[in-house]
Amino acid sequence: MTIHVLRPQQADTSGSSTPYDSVWAGEENGARASTQQQPPQQGALERTMLSQDKIYVVLAVVLLIWLGVAALIFRTDRRLTALERRLDDTS
Amino acid sequence: MAPLAQTELSEKVRPPQVNLRRYRWVRNGVLAWLTMVLAGAFLLKIPRLRILEHTARNLYFHVPMWFAMMAAFAVAGYHAAGFLRSGRRARDVRAVAAARVGTLFGLVGIVTGMVWARFTWYQSSGLWWNFDPKQTMAAAQLLIFGAYFVLRSALGGQPEKRGRVSAVYLLFAVAVMPFLLYVLPRQMQSLHPGAEGNPAFSEITHPIMRVIFYPSVAGFIGLFWVLYTQRVRAAALEMRSVVRGS
Repeated sequence: MTIHVLRPQQADTSGSSTPYDSVWAGEENGARASTQQQPPQQGALERTMLSQDKIYVVLAVVLLIWLGVAALIFRTDRRLTALERRLDDTS
Repeated sequence: MAPLAQTELSEKVRPPQVNLRRYRWVRNGVLAWLTMVLAGAFLLKIPRLRILEHTARNLYFHVPMWFAMMAAFAVAGYHAAGFLRSGRRARDVRAVAAARVGTLFGLVGIVTGMVWARFTWYQSSGLWWNFDPKQTMAAAQLLIFGAYFVLRSALGGQPEKRGRVSAVYLLFAVAVMPFLLYVLPRQMQSLHPGAEGNPAFSEITHPIMRVIFYPSVAGFIGLFWVLYTQRVRAAALEMRSVVRGS
């Protein structure tokens, strides 16, 4: 198994070394800046997910949580149905 | 349902019956519907307002919690009245289930409201809670319903008395809801939309947001119904197993 060393792709070298000093300018102001710092080899997925202030990332997270909740509701229903069947059969 | 065992039970202690076919249809519909609502809530472009910014999207999630809670408590009050009229244990079970799920939605509503207020109303002061009238009244409403469950557990040994006393209490708890959540906050100064006689929603919300807001309200009320029906099914199983065991 190879462990790939990950280096930041020369993203935020404009600021100094401290964190939080690169100011997110928001959708309108930052649109120009963000297209400049995107490396050219970005795929369709990255282009989509990083656009619109990265709100699609939040959407993906929320949908995953929601699918988990929905799965839980389904599994609870199956257990209830099984118990109902068992009581129906034995009574 | 087994006809023999059911008919032997008297009307009053018969477990609640759930139409499973309808339940499954509604459940699947609600889950698909809410998935679409979630997607739309994030994808639709909204007007960018100062202070609110993207948190305006909380309208799709925070406000429906309260609508779902009010629907749940209305259902709870309906079944409490039904229990007092008929004396059927099934109505009592349904009232408790609706009140439980309603309280859950109310708790989620108040916590989401706190988070939202912290980063909008109280952005500069850093407060999480400042006894804003609307929040305070909502908290009082939740405490009133909390006392309902305390009351029930206190009368745990006497199911007949517990059903009657808690149903009467529940009717009062539901009756004060419109005053605590609508009338009183509008008489006072509040940062919450809907204070001082203003409409909470109708004139200050951009039409584009209604496209998601109304379906979201419907969806979360549907989610209440799904969770409520699950609890009713579980309670029915409990009643049947107790009857068989004794």
